[in-house]
Amino acid sequence: MTIDTARVEKLRKRPIDGQAFKRLVEAGLTWLRTNQQVVNSLNVFPVPDGDTGTNMTLTLQAAWNEVKDMGTHHLGEMAAAFSKGALMGARGNSGVITSQILRGFSRGVHDKDVLDIPAFVKALGEARDTAYKGVVRPVEGTILTVIKETANAAEAAGGSIKDAMELLEVAVRAADEAVKKTPEMLPILKQAGVVDSGGKGLFFFMEGMLRHVYGESLETPTMQVHALSAVGLEDALEVVEEGQDYEVVVDFVPTGELDLHGFYGKLEEMGTSIQVGEGEGMYRMHIHVPTEKRYEPIDYIMGIGTVTKVAIENLMAQMDDIQKSKASQIQFGAVEPGNIAVVVVSPGHGISRIFASLGVAAVVAGGQTMNPSTQDILSSFENMPTDKVIILPNNKNIVMAANQAKEVTVKKVQVVATRTVPQGLAAMLSFDPSGDVEAVAEKMNKAMSHVKTGEITIATRSVEIDGVTVKDGQVIALLDGKLVASAETVESGTMELLEKASAAEHEIVTLFYGEDMPHVEANRIADVIRGRYSNLEVEVQEGGQPHYQFILSIE
Amino acid sequence: MGEETTSLGGIHISPTAVATIAYHATLQSYGVVGLAPKNLTDGIVSTITREPSRGISVQYKDDEIHIDINIIVEYGTRINSVAESVANTVRFHVEKALGLRVQSVNVHVAGLRISNTD
Repeated sequence: MTIDTARVEKLRKRPIDGQAFKRLVEAGLTWLRTNQQVVNSLNVFPVPDGDTGTNMTLTLQAAWNEVKDMGTHHLGEMAAAFSKGALMGARGNSGVITSQILRGFSRGVHDKDVLDIPAFVKALGEARDTAYKGVVRPVEGTILTVIKETANAAEAAGGSIKDAMELLEVAVRAADEAVKKTPEMLPILKQAGVVDSGGKGLFFFMEGMLRHVYGESLETPTMQVHALSAVGLEDALEVVEEGQDYEVVVDFVPTGELDLHGFYGKLEEMGTSIQVGEGEGMYRMHIHVPTEKRYEPIDYIMGIGTVTKVAIENLMAQMDDIQKSKASQIQFGAVEPGNIAVVVVSPGHGISRIFASLGVAAVVAGGQTMNPSTQDILSSFENMPTDKVIILPNNKNIVMAANQAKEVTVKKVQVVATRTVPQGLAAMLSFDPSGDVEAVAEKMNKAMSHVKTGEITIATRSVEIDGVTVKDGQVIALLDGKLVASAETVESGTMELLEKASAAEHEIVTLFYGEDMPHVEANRIADVIRGRYSNLEVEVQEGGQPHYQFILSIE
Repeated sequence: MGEETTSLGGIHISPTAVATIAYHATLQSYGVVGLAPKNLTDGIVSTITREPSRGISVQYKDDEIHIDINIIVEYGTRINSVAESVANTVRFHVEKALGLRVQSVNVHVAGLRISNTD
């Protein structure tokens, strides 16, 4: 840990007034947000309190929103506003407890201009008492235990402490200890091999404040030692950086206690993608290094322990493959915590790409003949750092699965029942990530009704529907799901479809050509359409969907 | 519901047993400081289980389990979140213990307890 001592000394001398308190809680919130996935991953219950990290982050975010524009220097007023924001925005169990902790804290300092030591100790005590009052049977080994131990430690140390910063150090240390003890108090945590998620979240919140004082980064997640089995070498491969030519994996048993900070620091001088796993005293280290440094990690580790196994692999060879697949990889926009995330079902690669460019957060592959399961849809958004999700099924056969996903999740999900890809795209155009989820879904619902959908495909059997006779193998045209024409060629089928859709009265036609459709042929047909409808704007896009030669959007 | 037939015979889980699970789950939920007696005029609900002292009633209707809980919440908490988390926790614990789906968990906030005003 590198501590900026000059900064600490400067901050130590300054009193913690309302504005300083504001900066501290902002740092705490930022640090918690950075680590929210770590907290989420500690959840042992699949349902109660869904994602603890997300809930706590959203609660504190609401608290922060309440104070972010406040100019007061009075500590009590600032803390009261922060606590009020947390109360109003409390999400889930952990959020409610957090809001109570803050409520107690703010009560402890309500008449204070600045945070002095007796006030700080008293406020932590109030935080503890208020938190415990909220439940008939407090369960130990949870966030409650963490605030209790923190307050107790502050009370014990109160007399011998010089300034508030030192007390913060004591509090953070106590919280850390308490979190580590939670598995001993709550058997279910021990069985799952984790510490309590809410307690860990509270710890991150307080640690963020301390990191702010120390001048440490709040954006990079804390280093983690995983269970040995969880060191995912496949994942690490995806982040190969230029110049890191060799992957080195060393298994070793350290002589004596391993100093993780020092260990990481040393490795960071050598390369990137550092992962450390531990299991029963055995460690596994994974790193990417440049060619000339490929033996350095091994030499270094031999100095601090017994190396049991070494594996070195040339990444250049693997990079070729990755670069190839990267070209076809789609970049999705990151979801801001608390914003709405859109999940779409897409039948083809090109269509996925278009959706991604419109700002969807995830794509589930699926379409007419390959309907994704509820689970597929669910897992696409379960881990997102938001609880507001909109699903666009883009196919009438998938609407049901989307609705089921809505049933089984604790997140607030809206299904905008788009039955076709053009409807989905039209809905997406009116998407606003920061709006109210129901209002946004409503708007998207309206937007999708303004578009007509045409589909060109090949009949798989002979039938007569809606007065149209179709022979096996013929080209058929569907308008908004209804069979409207059959033809011998894709071109004539497309023209008949546009006729039926009264294309002359519309403005834009977009052709999404399928995987069986050559690009050149698609362009040729587009030219034929332009020739027939001179006022119509015709666009050609790669859709990549199977079975459908064309999906047309007619607006 | 609450009944299962195996090759050895039947298993019947009484509503009281379900209520006990719900009772413990509720009391461990954060923000709940007590259970309120169920209002006796509260509909013509079945005669099967009534545990007014506990404020929890469990009914089996056809193939469905319905749970009603009357709670007293700590003043100063976000009532909505507390109630939601009671519903989630109760559903989770009952479903885990029974292996049966709970159709509905209705949480009635019967009152608030004020231990601190601020």
